[in-house]
Amino acid sequence: MKITLTVNGTPHALEAAPDARLLDVLRDALGLGGPREGCGIGACGACTVLLDRAPVSSCLVLVAQAEGHAITTVEGLAGPDGALSPVQQAFIDHRAFQCSYCTPGFILAATALLEQNPAPSDDAITEALTGNLCRCGSYRNIVEAVASLRRQG
Amino acid sequence: MSMHTGAPVGVGVPLLDARERVTGAVPFVGNMRVPGMLVGRVLRSPLAHARIRSLDAAAARAIPGVVAVVTAADLGRETGPVLHYGRNVKDQEVVASKMVHYVGEPVALVSAETEEAAEAALAAIAIDYEELPAVYEALEAAQPEAPRVHEGMDSNVFVHAKLRHGDVDAGFARADAIVEETFTSPVAQQTSLEPHVAIAQWADDALTVWTASQAPFAVRTALAGVFRVPEPSVRVVVPPIGGGYGGKGGMRVELPAAVLAWFSGGRPVRVLLSRAEEFVTVTKHAASITIRTGIRRDGTLTARQITCHWGTGAVVENSAALVRGALVRLVGPYRIGAVQVDSYGVYTNLPSAGAYRGAMSSQATWAYESHTDALAKAIGMAPVELRRKSLIRSGETFATGETLHEVYFHECMEACLAKLGWDAPLAQPGGHLRRGRGVAVMMKSTNPVSRSECRLELGVDGVLTIYTGTVEMGQGTHTALAQVAAGELGLPLERVRVQGPDTALVPFDTATNASRSVGMMGTALLNAAAALRERLAGAAAPLLDLPPDQLSVAGGAVASAGGRSLTYAAVLAGAGLPSLDATGEHATNVGLDPETGQGVGSPHWHQGAGACEVEVDTETGRVRVLRYVGASFAGRVINPDLARLQNDGNVIYGMGPALLEEMVFDAGRVVNPNLSDYQIPSLRDTPDWLEGVCIEHEEGEFHGIGEMTLPPVAPAIANAIEDAIGVRVRALPISAERVLRELDA
Amino acid sequence: MDYHRPTTVNEALALLARLGDDARVLAGGTALAIMLHNRLVAPDALVSLERVEGLRSVEGTPDGGLTLGACVPIAAAAAHPLVRRHAPALAHAYGVVGNVRVRNQATVGGNLAEADYASDPPAMLAVLDARVRVAGPSGERTLSVGELLVGAYETALEPGELLTHVEVPAPAPGLRAAYRKFTSRSSEDRACVGVAAAAALEGGVCRSLRVAVGAACEVPTRVPQAEALAVGQPLTPALARRISEAYAEAVDALDDLRGSAWYRRRVIAVEVRRALEEVAG
Repeated sequence: MKITLTVNGTPHALEAAPDARLLDVLRDALGLGGPREGCGIGACGACTVLLDRAPVSSCLVLVAQAEGHAITTVEGLAGPDGALSPVQQAFIDHRAFQCSYCTPGFILAATALLEQNPAPSDDAITEALTGNLCRCGSYRNIVEAVASLRRQG
Repeated sequence: MSMHTGAPVGVGVPLLDARERVTGAVPFVGNMRVPGMLVGRVLRSPLAHARIRSLDAAAARAIPGVVAVVTAADLGRETGPVLHYGRNVKDQEVVASKMVHYVGEPVALVSAETEEAAEAALAAIAIDYEELPAVYEALEAAQPEAPRVHEGMDSNVFVHAKLRHGDVDAGFARADAIVEETFTSPVAQQTSLEPHVAIAQWADDALTVWTASQAPFAVRTALAGVFRVPEPSVRVVVPPIGGGYGGKGGMRVELPAAVLAWFSGGRPVRVLLSRAEEFVTVTKHAASITIRTGIRRDGTLTARQITCHWGTGAVVENSAALVRGALVRLVGPYRIGAVQVDSYGVYTNLPSAGAYRGAMSSQATWAYESHTDALAKAIGMAPVELRRKSLIRSGETFATGETLHEVYFHECMEACLAKLGWDAPLAQPGGHLRRGRGVAVMMKSTNPVSRSECRLELGVDGVLTIYTGTVEMGQGTHTALAQVAAGELGLPLERVRVQGPDTALVPFDTATNASRSVGMMGTALLNAAAALRERLAGAAAPLLDLPPDQLSVAGGAVASAGGRSLTYAAVLAGAGLPSLDATGEHATNVGLDPETGQGVGSPHWHQGAGACEVEVDTETGRVRVLRYVGASFAGRVINPDLARLQNDGNVIYGMGPALLEEMVFDAGRVVNPNLSDYQIPSLRDTPDWLEGVCIEHEEGEFHGIGEMTLPPVAPAIANAIEDAIGVRVRALPISAERVLRELDA
Repeated sequence: MDYHRPTTVNEALALLARLGDDARVLAGGTALAIMLHNRLVAPDALVSLERVEGLRSVEGTPDGGLTLGACVPIAAAAAHPLVRRHAPALAHAYGVVGNVRVRNQATVGGNLAEADYASDPPAMLAVLDARVRVAGPSGERTLSVGELLVGAYETALEPGELLTHVEVPAPAPGLRAAYRKFTSRSSEDRACVGVAAAAALEGGVCRSLRVAVGAACEVPTRVPQAEALAVGQPLTPALARRISEAYAEAVDALDDLRGSAWYRRRVIAVEVRRALEEVAG
């Protein structure tokens, strides 16, 4: 079917099977390398994208379901001048990754959390991020990076 | 000429490509799109042991969009791929010809224009199997009457490695107590989030493979062997990879990709494994370790006897070397009067086992460090006191007969104890929750025989490029090498680039494994830098009218004592050189006598420790690790931030096999090949308090720390559990159910 | 494959009637996407409920009950002020489903219609006496959760029927409820045992008690004889222990990777008791 996907603010008209996974369309049709398949069952979070600013597993979203919604991938976070988003910068400053296969997923999950809740408690940070898996085990630095962006007061 | 050791070493800078890592722009192989690329897929055996009565691929070949279907009948011809291959033993077939030996063994390969066509082709290949008896456990498979995994073999035991040091019988006779225990570890999976993926393309009798591999040169050798072409005809390119943990250490997915590409008329073919396929492609060795130790009342260890059966699956791959190498990893970092080790590699009808971060040491440390607490208990000594008394020290003789140097087991352990607050009172929450503390220390060898070369090239623009075969998989070695190079040549880090691995561009390196890279490649780099400084001095000498030995090379310039100096760029320009390069090498070649296991086990020894506090729910058996501290001996730390990440990451990774990870089989079929049924540690599973320590010493060498804090995790937790509730778990993983059963017993 | 986006329940029902077995209903899709991708199902058409009016809101009823549209995302149900006020334990049960991404996508209705035994909300809905509204070719009917869930991955929904709403009655006076999710492996695991409990307490005396064990058995399981032990009694530790042991004995516990039947019975005895202690305050 003909589908229009709005990804990182840009509409893309494309032809796809309605049950194609959003993940595959983003990667193969739109050439985005940020969303990555880790488990294919929504358990690892490597394919996280934001759908209307809420994190979802793009391996579980059918492309037809994504039509009419704003899709954000990690490629859409930096400013037009290439300036990194605060979350991206905090991940660098806190060394919050090793192999970084999982990193876009964590960054998007953290971005959504901080938009929704600019001053999350430690528990809220854990709750928002614990569904993303990092096999290299950079969790401590990831939490520190997100906590550093907590609005004070 | 003076030596320059610059500031960048010891500084915690981010990974060189940090920006790519946070913007999703890392060029993982899975993100590559080569024009004309086909989908490559593998048809796999559904049975653990069977004879192939017939195979008919005609219907698959007729499906539109299918480019190549490869069966055993297509292999072993005059040219092109052979049928049989293997790294240590030729016990593998590119695709099975007559027999299959494990569920998941490749039986046919397909390349196609689309995923759908490939899928349809796999479904259209008709195979008739005759099922045969199979064996899954190493101990059972080692029995003389066990079904043979490979026909015509006398035994399923493919290697029996031996270590004989001193008179164990006399040692046991001198003991006041003898403790014997058996510890088991199940089959597990490395579970890098990035799956195995390779793209292969043939052009003009030359093969190029882009792959997520830890061992580009080993893959090159293996592929050259399969296609009977000279090694330079095979080019292996490895961009940054999304985790390896040992699982990407040999030729795995590159083979079907290259074979399909051979049959696909010059088209590139990509083979990308599904998560389920990962579980039948490479696994962690199951181990059953029986350890028996004699101890005197004062804590003297008089004798130790270890028998280990490693279940290696139906394919040896690198397991012969790993099982032999395990001899010295099984002993433990102790002063022991006499030691005897028997390490058996055993075929089973399961998927191939290979290195799993902390290879063989995790299984071994699980046994000997749990056992240390049992020994302490047997003589009524505190476990820490026994370790203080018996941990081996510099200048003492190890079970291989070699004298150990640079030994820091005590320091590693004491650092953990101090940080954890071992002697502070432990508050008990009361009710059904009980807390306890545990400690463990580990000793691990690195590759006895290995070699690294590194080439440095300085351009007229003053940019230094490091050509290295070391794979960047998040451990940060490229960044660390750049820091060392920047220091050695007095350049800002921004002026240093890292190229490779690409076997066509970089000199040889054994592999990125066994925590060897900063030590081996780092030393090769130091040698290359020294040679480059010499060449710079030589090039500058005529320009400055001084002999080279009166010039210093530092801070980006060549200078005389009198204060005249030329920048590197000026030297190159003055000498009319477009660039200046130098290569350095570092090689080790040690080994053990094959009959006695005496000799030198490792060029240097990996040393680590861990201590923790756990809380056990005595009603459900659930264990929470509340606090953990891990220590590594690091020689000299190049980048403390990345070192800390490796230390922490090892602890968290190690919590997987300790508490969660186990591949479960039904008649050889993995029943949990997904990340819901096979679980790895999440953020919420990690300790609330996690600390890491790197033990350094002045003028120390670079030591890898890619594994050091991992092997102690499981025994430290088990020892803490015993401290908390008085029960001993001897089988991994330490599941809640297992703990509750032990509490009941 | 055809993809339909009806905008009313009637339009959806008409499509389902016309397409018959060739169609699958798509709500959030977290479960269906995996089945489709692995070719475990291969329908000719999907009938997506994403644009159906009236299925995406949480409403309070005049008597203090709740009506949740089938397409309310689980995360929204967990966070909704009305749910948190009137049924905080239900909000909690929704809040511990899967992970944040799954909760954003999966729906209240899909969660029940999938009848996954390891899911958390069904047990809680069962003890709250929730009913589901089902629209079908021959009109609307309502079912209790117990009537809806007839086995693991098996419901009483007829072909062509659509689960449209979940109705949670107003809590009885003095009702205290709790949901406990016990995971035996990773914290991210699905429940090994889930226990939902609701007790109406008056002056420390239990007027009614409902307890359902989920995830450990094919369908949420209540043991009425054990519940009855509490009626008219204070919820003492000894009574909680008796009731929990009765549950451990009565529940037909499953054996899977999250625990053997033996282990689950042991945990049921512990977790039912802890749930009762929680509601007893």
